[in-house]
Amino acid sequence: MPEPLIALRDVSRVYRRGADDVHALEHVSLTIAGGLFAALMGPSGSGKSTLLNLLSGIDRPSGGDVVVAGKRLNDLSEDALARWRSRHVGLIFQFYNLIPVLSALENVELPLLLTALDRRERLARARLALDVVGLGARAAHAPAELSGGEQQRVAIARAIVTDPDLIIADEPTGDLDARNADQILRLLLELSHELQKTVVMVTHDPRASEWVDIVFHLEKGVLKETYAGGAGKARAPATGGPP
Amino acid sequence: MSLPISYSVRNVRARLRRTSLTIAVIALAVVASAVFLALISSLQRTLVSTGSPANLVVLRKGSDNDGSSMLTLEAYQAIRFFDGIARNAEGQPIVSPEMVVQPTVRAVSGTRENVLARGVEPMALVVHDRVRIVAGRMFRPSSGEAVLGAGTVGRYQGARLGEELAFGRRRWRVVGIMEAAGSSFESEVWVDARELASDANRPFPYSGIRLRVAAGADRDALVRRIEDDPRYALEAKPETDYYAEQAKSSRSLYVLLVVLAVPVGIAAGLGAANTMFAAVQARTVEIGTLRALGFSRATILRAFLLESFGVAMVGFAVGAVGTLALAAGIGAVLGDIGFTAATFTTNLVALRVGAGDLAAAFLFAAAIGIIGGLLPAWRAARLRPVEALRKA
Ligand SMILES: Nc1ncnc2c1ncn2[C@@H]1O[C@H](COP(=O)(O)OP(=O)(O)O)[C@@H](O)[C@H]1O
Ligand SMILES: [Mg+2]
Repeated sequence: MPEPLIALRDVSRVYRRGADDVHALEHVSLTIAGGLFAALMGPSGSGKSTLLNLLSGIDRPSGGDVVVAGKRLNDLSEDALARWRSRHVGLIFQFYNLIPVLSALENVELPLLLTALDRRERLARARLALDVVGLGARAAHAPAELSGGEQQRVAIARAIVTDPDLIIADEPTGDLDARNADQILRLLLELSHELQKTVVMVTHDPRASEWVDIVFHLEKGVLKETYAGGAGKARAPATGGPP
Repeated sequence: MSLPISYSVRNVRARLRRTSLTIAVIALAVVASAVFLALISSLQRTLVSTGSPANLVVLRKGSDNDGSSMLTLEAYQAIRFFDGIARNAEGQPIVSPEMVVQPTVRAVSGTRENVLARGVEPMALVVHDRVRIVAGRMFRPSSGEAVLGAGTVGRYQGARLGEELAFGRRRWRVVGIMEAAGSSFESEVWVDARELASDANRPFPYSGIRLRVAAGADRDALVRRIEDDPRYALEAKPETDYYAEQAKSSRSLYVLLVVLAVPVGIAAGLGAANTMFAAVQARTVEIGTLRALGFSRATILRAFLLESFGVAMVGFAVGAVGTLALAAGIGAVLGDIGFTAATFTTNLVALRVGAGDLAAAFLFAAAIGIIGGLLPAWRAARLRPVEALRKA
């Protein structure tokens, strides 16, 4: 069995808020094989975003191990984590989080500024990424001139432009109507199935389970259930749940 | 590689309107400091340009200006024939004995100002070769006539060709106007030396002597000879040094500059800090996003400092234009500015804003921007991405 791309072992995350602690994640263990399209589902406040933040190395666990692409993220310093993120993770947010003063093309170019590529190469790659999401013609537009669905596609282009192993999306369709949501889900599916990216997405959309390979269901910080999604591409069995 | 400068520049541009109050305050700090610096440097330029390197000023030992010096007729007669003094075509030594008093004169506005009245003899126009009579003629001895520096014309009551200027115990008929390349002679009133001394009730006819050193002569030897003469306790120095010392006393104006600029600078700095805090607040999610994408704290710090600097530069640009407009306006409406700091007499100074004055104001604005931006930029850099992104 190949190394899973993601392995969480007994991961907990406690937020200290004044006197009482918030146990956002409690003893979560799971693995996700490379190239899968995975969904994290569960009610609001169940710890989905917290889990994503640990996977992408934006946050660190209070306990347990987070291993992504063979790297134990717990060991990395803040700066090392930032560098690691810039190479291995593409991030997609619910509200797109594009930089308003930069054009679509410049937004997509942004992560490449952290690489050694020269400007010509950066722009060439950013254009390519915009073409992939079908927005090559809108390169010069400011985010405010684009619809929500288009902005999220620009964000996807920004997430894939560095050719990362892992794409993390927190409610990427949460702010979109059904038609645009479908377009985004299809894009993510293609990234996973055609470009062999591992995509982990948080979603509230019940229809989303039809699109993904595997669903993790969280409740109150605990991994309650793991099941195959409609795309049914689960190549490696997912393991998880509290011991 | 890190965030491009254009990121900061565009953010400055994007919130120009919301930042306009801060920009206005920074512009005010620029105007205040640049205009004041320009006043000081204009005054210094006026004074320094008054001296001629070929001339010596001879005063009583210990006097640092004409006004507090006294010299006997006998001393003048002796010094005149020292070696090393230039002579005119008729073979006379080019030596100008001068009496300086500082009477008050009534300005057109009604206020009283101390003016420098210089009692001279005809040789004065030879020693001070940059002084030229541009209208009328030189005064005639013992006839109650005066020649006015161009800067005083129209400033004082009766200070016009053909009118009468009142100072001391009498009225002086204005028969000529002189110019002197913008130097402080243009702020003076010249009359007959003996007439001035008797009007001012001075026991000696002269305050000091100005003389022209002969070309090729040993200036230092002449200075030593004058200073070492046991009969008269005198001191001699190049006229350029004399006026440079007068200019030095205008340095006390820098204290005033600091007193003026510090509070305005602090207000501007607080304004800059305030708008930058607002920017950090408004862009928390954006900062979280940049950090999540992998940009370092140092990059965020730099970008926000640069932005604050950019706001300050807009303020500087507005202030610089304002300064030049104000200086032009002052020149057109008020004419010369009366300065009394250096010699207690009024120096009429044409306000000119130099590149150095603007450069200093630029540094001031830059410091306001960078110091004001430091804390907000630091806060931006310290934002933890997880927390920042939750603000969505
Ligand atoms: N930075 C934080 N500080 C304090 N509490 C937090 C923080 N982030 C999340 N929480 C809490 O942790 C729990 C899980 O939050 P989250 O992971 O955002 O849930 P979800 O994404 O499933 O809605 C919630 O109770 C939330 O209030
Ligand atoms: Mg969430």
